[in-house]
Amino acid sequence: MKPALSVIFFTVSSGAGLGLLVWLLIASLMADHIRMDGATFYKGALIAGLLITAGLVSSTLHLANRKNAIYSLARIKTSWLSREGLLAVLLYPLAALHLAALHFGWPQITPITLWTLIATAIAILYCTGMIYGCLRTVPRWNTWMTPTKYVLFGLMSGAVLLPAVLSLRPAEVGPVGRPMVAILLLALGLALYLAYLLKHPRAVHTINDALGFKQGNVRLLDVGHSHGTFLTNEFGFAVAREKARLLRWIAILCGFILPLLLCYFTKWFWAASFIGIAGLLVERWLFFAEAEHVVRLYHGQQRV
Amino acid sequence: MRLGLAIDLDTCVGCHACAVACKEWNGQSLMGGAPDYDAWGKAPGGTWYNRIRSYEIEGDPTYSPHRCGIENHPHPGPPLEGEGAHQPLSKTVNVPMSCMHCEEAHCVTVCPTGASYKRAEDGIVLVDPSRCMGCNYCAWACPYGARELDEDAGVMKKCTLCVDRIYDEQLAIEDRQPACVLACPTHARHFGDFDDPQSKVSLLAESRGKQSMLDDLGYKPTNAYLSLRKPVEIKTELPIRAGLSDKARAFVNRLIQL
Repeated sequence: MKPALSVIFFTVSSGAGLGLLVWLLIASLMADHIRMDGATFYKGALIAGLLITAGLVSSTLHLANRKNAIYSLARIKTSWLSREGLLAVLLYPLAALHLAALHFGWPQITPITLWTLIATAIAILYCTGMIYGCLRTVPRWNTWMTPTKYVLFGLMSGAVLLPAVLSLRPAEVGPVGRPMVAILLLALGLALYLAYLLKHPRAVHTINDALGFKQGNVRLLDVGHSHGTFLTNEFGFAVAREKARLLRWIAILCGFILPLLLCYFTKWFWAASFIGIAGLLVERWLFFAEAEHVVRLYHGQQRV
Repeated sequence: MRLGLAIDLDTCVGCHACAVACKEWNGQSLMGGAPDYDAWGKAPGGTWYNRIRSYEIEGDPTYSPHRCGIENHPHPGPPLEGEGAHQPLSKTVNVPMSCMHCEEAHCVTVCPTGASYKRAEDGIVLVDPSRCMGCNYCAWACPYGARELDEDAGVMKKCTLCVDRIYDEQLAIEDRQPACVLACPTHARHFGDFDDPQSKVSLLAESRGKQSMLDDLGYKPTNAYLSLRKPVEIKTELPIRAGLSDKARAFVNRLIQL
């Protein structure tokens, strides 16, 4: 698949923002314990909001006909893209309600708005994953691992951002402790990513399945067009094997191992966040670039 | 009704007449155009509802069951038992592909705007260009490459089964067929209702058998690609010495032909 930068940025940025939102809200339940003051909470909420909004705005950049995007919430019964859009739009009034409840001091409704917000944020991450995971035409995506990756990586990058946000609190409170949630999620994320790379439960389709000639060798003689088509542009993208291997190591190192080491041994949480997000951008680029659509079989590829 | 095409892989000669006729009809159609990009330039491209690709099928014993030509063994020397079936006979198969108007049209279910829809009355899958936001998601969901973005209008385009022809009562009844079907010089394309067991397309699909094209994905395509006919075996050994009955038969034949 063609790795569209707008979609890659959207999934990573919104993912990190939603993850930060979840952990920030959970942290606000034990604000005294982790010594998070109100100003720091609002700063964190602002960062989360910016990341989510930047991602959502970016996601509209790849639309060929943006004026019809208003209809995109119309099919929540069937379309994961519609569900994701609706929940993303719902997130803002929910967040406003929660902030209003905090600001005006309505203790009766804050637990409700807080847990609804957390559930919505995780549901958005899941929907984003299912946009890709539900496609039977891309066997590499059509497994339980895709939504799991989106949820876990979103929560993971948010968990690394949380100690960075906490480090913004006044100096007299003292340094931030070792962020065990972030370390645990980074380790889990690394395990899931390695599992995804090493053993991936996926269907395999051959050119014989595509044309129905079950026996013998099937070869493309003529593709029928003299230059690229929409299909070859969209689905014909191929990444060089050496480049993919290099990028995969960058994704493993920057996305998981370096942030893990930085969180465990140092207090450089901002560096860990930025390196982690850069690593996830590489991981997401590979997610798109390496996914193969079954229409490639009709263009002569033997296996997808 | 479940309207669709039956396409004969045996008679299609890959001339692209269907694709050209499609382009000509739909270029200015009601459902909204199939533009060309850089048509006379270095990188000509465009939106097509129908594309023809040619394949070589080699060594399929179903279609090359008889020994002929030089046998292709992976080892030197005479063939081992059972090897005669696999011989270097190959077939060229031209496969025109347009929208299959699937029963389980996943392109419709993934569409967030509702621009893509499948008509209940005849099963035709269409795109409403006034709702489509051009997110390409339906094209991602289509295994058959039926959907192409119209880059000029920014909306998705696809085969409409010439919905603006087949119901047009101002046309003669024999002209109420998709443009590709009318244009096909070898009559490889047939249009009809697959829900009617007595329709031409149903009878063709029944008698000839149809190719399973990514059926395991579960889209249940409506269009049928008619399988190749089995080749007829031609005996190569000649009757060198005819018996008495052969001589008698030849004698009678000569008498009749006088």
